[in-house]
Amino acid sequence: MTLNLAILFVSAVLVAGVYATMSYGLALIFGVMKVINLSHAGAIMLGAYVAYVLIVGLKMNPFIAAVVVVPPLFFLLGILLERVFVRPVRKAPPIASLLLLFGVWLMMQNIAYIIWTGEVRTITTPYTMMRFNLGAVPINVNRLAVFLVGVFTLLALHQFMTRTYLGKAIRATAQDSAAAKLAGINTDQIDMVAFGLGTALAGMAGALTALIYAFDPNFGGSYMLKSFCIVVLGGVESFLGVALGSLILALAETLSVLWIRAGLQDFVSFVILVLALLVMPGGLPELFQRRFAVRQR
Amino acid sequence: MKGTVRTGRILLLLGVLIFLALIPVVGRGTYYQHLGFLTFLFITLSIAWNLVGGYAGQISFGHVVFFGIGAYTTSILWLRGIPQLLTIPLAGVAAALYGLLWGWPCLRLRGPYFSIATIGVGEATRLLALNLENLTGGAGGLTLPTPEDIRLYLFGFYYMGFFLMLGSLLISAAIRNSRFGLGLFAIRMDEDAAEALGVNALSYKILALMLSAFLVGVGGSLYAQYILYIDPGTVFGFSMSVNMILMPIIGGIGTLWGPVLGAVIFTVIQDRIMTLSLNLWGFTFKLVQFHLLVYGALLVLIILFEPRGLVGLAERAYRSVQRWRQAKAMVPTTG
Amino acid sequence: MAGILEGKGVTKYFGGLAAVHNVDFYVHEGEIFGLIGPNGAGKTTLFRIIAGIYAPTSGQIFFRGKEITGRKPYEICRMGITTTHQVVRPFLDMTVLENVLVGAAFGRGWVTGATRDVRKEAMRVLEFTGLAPKANVLAKNLTLPDRKRLEIARALATRPVVLLLDEVIAGLNPTETLQTMQLIREIRNQGITIVMVEHVMQAVMGVSDRIMVLNYGEKIAEGSPQEVATNPQVIAAYLGTSLAV
Ligand SMILES: Nc1ncnc2c1ncn2[C@@H]1O[C@H](COP(=O)(O)OP(=O)(O)OP(=O)(O)O)[C@@H](O)[C@H]1O
Ligand SMILES: [Mg+2]
Repeated sequence: MTLNLAILFVSAVLVAGVYATMSYGLALIFGVMKVINLSHAGAIMLGAYVAYVLIVGLKMNPFIAAVVVVPPLFFLLGILLERVFVRPVRKAPPIASLLLLFGVWLMMQNIAYIIWTGEVRTITTPYTMMRFNLGAVPINVNRLAVFLVGVFTLLALHQFMTRTYLGKAIRATAQDSAAAKLAGINTDQIDMVAFGLGTALAGMAGALTALIYAFDPNFGGSYMLKSFCIVVLGGVESFLGVALGSLILALAETLSVLWIRAGLQDFVSFVILVLALLVMPGGLPELFQRRFAVRQR
Repeated sequence: MKGTVRTGRILLLLGVLIFLALIPVVGRGTYYQHLGFLTFLFITLSIAWNLVGGYAGQISFGHVVFFGIGAYTTSILWLRGIPQLLTIPLAGVAAALYGLLWGWPCLRLRGPYFSIATIGVGEATRLLALNLENLTGGAGGLTLPTPEDIRLYLFGFYYMGFFLMLGSLLISAAIRNSRFGLGLFAIRMDEDAAEALGVNALSYKILALMLSAFLVGVGGSLYAQYILYIDPGTVFGFSMSVNMILMPIIGGIGTLWGPVLGAVIFTVIQDRIMTLSLNLWGFTFKLVQFHLLVYGALLVLIILFEPRGLVGLAERAYRSVQRWRQAKAMVPTTG
Repeated sequence: MAGILEGKGVTKYFGGLAAVHNVDFYVHEGEIFGLIGPNGAGKTTLFRIIAGIYAPTSGQIFFRGKEITGRKPYEICRMGITTTHQVVRPFLDMTVLENVLVGAAFGRGWVTGATRDVRKEAMRVLEFTGLAPKANVLAKNLTLPDRKRLEIARALATRPVVLLLDEVIAGLNPTETLQTMQLIREIRNQGITIVMVEHVMQAVMGVSDRIMVLNYGEKIAEGSPQEVATNPQVIAAYLGTSLAV
């Protein structure tokens, strides 16, 4: 029993790496622009297909494809989306960008259908079947690699956000856009970069997910839901929050197989999402903050 | 002057209704009868979505769940021996109760957060339907008994669809001019300000959702009885939610006639244009393969250029014609 | 005079920041009670706590001796406390009349049955506030002074017992300021108790019976306009701002 739990725990941690990458993309865009990016699902799905073309079609190394090639492509895609679709409705009520990006998602789905058909695809890498034992717990090399890539990406982003001017400007805009503008930051440009980065992260996460799971053109939806769930749990401000949220969701999902059938696993993220939205509108960070405030008094 | 315009409009409306009522009498069992039923159904769904998404401003991406609940309620009850007609109101009630069940927590969420939750509701409900095989038959779906005289049966359903549409339209119109409607509009425009003036926003939103759910549930019930076969992929499918969003937005979100117009156009697009295929450069393209692309693009274009849809476009055109007339009338006096 | 609105130890934290800290207040029936303080002093926050928009971190609010802490905003409005918004929030796509109809159809007047004919009540309020000529103008086409007036009209249409006015004068020209001051006095003469937040000193000093001063979330003074204006702590808080009555 403890061994089983250990195995489940390890597999949850390994999944959490990818979850964190994709959620951070969503959190970044929401934090900076206060826009809920429904095209996130489309970017995740397209990321998977682009990786498929590179790896299966062009015989590229899977991790080079997912880490080096996909993110810049999707950064450009994100910038394009921001300029063409999001910017014109920035001043409109939030419903406008919500519906608009929903439309973009539908279009992305259809494009994937036309190019790759609705057939379910998988990517097999040289590492897919490789495993080693950590004590008594078997660990899949492929999943471990995906996990590590996710973690390193977040660490690199953290450095970028705290050390570079651009990163600091992004954080300043997320905290108070009006004040950032007054301080001389070109917030329009920051919006664009944030949308680009967010989309790049979604694409990369999609590519990484495709190395583990099968996918089809509808595949982004449930991952977007998971991302929302994580962002609501972890808040949009901190890496730690997103990492923690990812871990909580991954654990809940993985452990849920003990009680409910696997087909209902996605149910877990939905229930957590709604509960989290209701119980703590500010997410985990607000909970900590509240604690802190009470202690101060 | 105003009176004659009003009478004219009512006469036009009556004419259209009588024409619609006569279609199956003239052409019983024809394609037009079938198209008519589908149009009535879609108009109902469109109007119902608009009560929540348009009037109250709460965008739902999961409205299909009410359609599915309605369809399954009717099918399950009918297969267990409940009289067929009795299952129709029960389907509506079941859908409304389901709306209460998730609306009560989810409608506490504001604007976009509610919308996200509805994506989850849709997904979760479909998963449930797939996995509760004992009740729903799982992915295989449920097949309903074929009636003896299928032509007479479908003829009857044409009128049921007709009256459901009429009922929905009357409800929608009545709400617009009521205290309830005023409250919903206030909530859409500024929920906090509405609450500060005494509007109980949560219960109003829940009420709107339940009413909408009831209509969609009855629609789902009629659909199941008409098609005589249902499965989760269709009656809980995401694409039906997309349709329900698209129709009112095409026509004009939050208006009375917009959803009707949008639904008619949508049904025609769906049924006429989407079934075509094109021959280009030696390739055969079935347009249906592009339907999400078309719908997505439509959504994007409308939001970008005319958020009030066709109704907004018509109003704009009307205004510019008026301005042009005024300008023309000015000419002699200035010249 | 009976107390109509009372606060005991009202405190509100935003994260670690005490926006309102341990404030006691007591508003008499039928008076105009001014609430002043430098920017960020916590005036709007206190209003929002009274109106039920924020739950206080601690402390209690009483209305006619009955505790109302933690009630929902719509309940509080229906009991008879209506607030206006510092940043005006009209229903933009409604006409002026429709905006006021919302107040008339959902506020205390409707609940108690005092408002029989909602439309008549709305028109009465429009006449009273001078907005009647603009009844059919869409709110989004109004100027800022008119929007501020609409805030008042909409709140009045609920038939409040206590009206909370948050900076309804700031941003008006001198003529409009005098008009609004007059309007506030007339509202009081109808028996409605008024609590008003205002930065325009002549206005708030001119119409208030009593004034409370907040600074950094704490109450630093309370009394007649003269008492407050000559209070050294208040002068220090406003440092340099003229408090001439
Ligand atoms: N929703 C909120 N979240 C976090 N902090 C807030 C919030 N609302 C107000 N504050 C902070 O609480 C403090 C008091 O704000 P409040 O708006 O009550 O001041 P005020 O006296 O009305 O100021 P002003 O005269 O500028 O209107 C300020 O420091 C403000 O930044
Ligand atoms: Mg204020």
